[in-house]
Amino acid sequence: MAASAQDELYAETAQTYGAAIERLARAYEADADLRRDLVQDIHVALWRSFAAFEGRCSLRTWLYRIAHNVGASHVLRQRRIRDQELVGLEELENLPDANGLQAADRSHALDRLLGLIQRLKPMDRHVILSYLEGLDAALIGEITGLSAANVATKVHRIKNMLARQFQLGGSAS
Amino acid sequence: MNQLENPVQKLWQDQPVKEIKMPIEEIRRRAGRFERKIRWRNIREYVASLIAVGLFVYFLATSHDLLSRVTFALFIAAMLWIVVALHRKGSAKKLPEGADTLTSLRFYRAELERQREVVGNVWWWYLAPLVPGFVVYTIGYAVKFPRPAAWLGLALMDVIVAGMFYVIWRMNLRAARCLDKMITELNGAE
Repeated sequence: MAASAQDELYAETAQTYGAAIERLARAYEADADLRRDLVQDIHVALWRSFAAFEGRCSLRTWLYRIAHNVGASHVLRQRRIRDQELVGLEELENLPDANGLQAADRSHALDRLLGLIQRLKPMDRHVILSYLEGLDAALIGEITGLSAANVATKVHRIKNMLARQFQLGGSAS
Repeated sequence: MNQLENPVQKLWQDQPVKEIKMPIEEIRRRAGRFERKIRWRNIREYVASLIAVGLFVYFLATSHDLLSRVTFALFIAAMLWIVVALHRKGSAKKLPEGADTLTSLRFYRAELERQREVVGNVWWWYLAPLVPGFVVYTIGYAVKFPRPAAWLGLALMDVIVAGMFYVIWRMNLRAARCLDKMITELNGAE
């Protein structure tokens, strides 16, 4: 791919999904300094990846794949330094109810949500982040490589867990 | 993007974020730095091996007795064996760009398994090939200097070399156990 086309694709994606990249980075790194490095790593990986982009999937799918892979590799690298055990959705689903964090507690709710996400193993973290970003099941399957049935099971678990842990003025379907 | 069905999705998407803007020049600079780092690491490994082989070739060419020549020839063969083994087993693969999560997690696991095999078998591909050279060197030296004092010095050197081999082997076994733990964690990551 020509360098100018690579630059243009990167600029378009960074412009459209810059905020999503920041949100994903928050889910992969709690420390502000390390998170800034992670965001920059995602941008560099994204730019480099466009040299190999052949348009076989949408820019959005491509972006989420790259960003999640950089995030997962960051988590695995940090895992060697920090001795924090990662858990699956099943474990979070079995957490005791939080007695409904109300709308007034939104900032606490966000912190709590981030805390839960940051404990998850890479694949489950990808799925919950994709769900929170509002991606549909088909797109989640395309990004993660999971089957439709697997995605449906995981999304069901996520909804259950969120319903039990958060009550923010709406019903989790 | 589909319509938000869950208030937690709104909470997530409405969170305040401070976007980092990176100019293309800065991204190119960082990407270039990353690629140079990888290239130099590879060059460094091969240059170090070539220097070691070059030194042994020099010693081989300038030595006069048969046992010394055999010793250096064995060390050269061992170094070449190690370089080839390192190239075949130790070269890091590259994750295909845009791979889905499942593929990337399987890739990371395969990479960890490859690294575990390298450090777990360090005796066979790194240490054992050096042993014949040391054995012939010991015999040659003992034959050349048949004095108890020389033999004592020789025995001390052999003990130090054996100690270094043991430390390298133990360190690699510990690294293999650490990799095993990470592989076990990744097994459940899908």
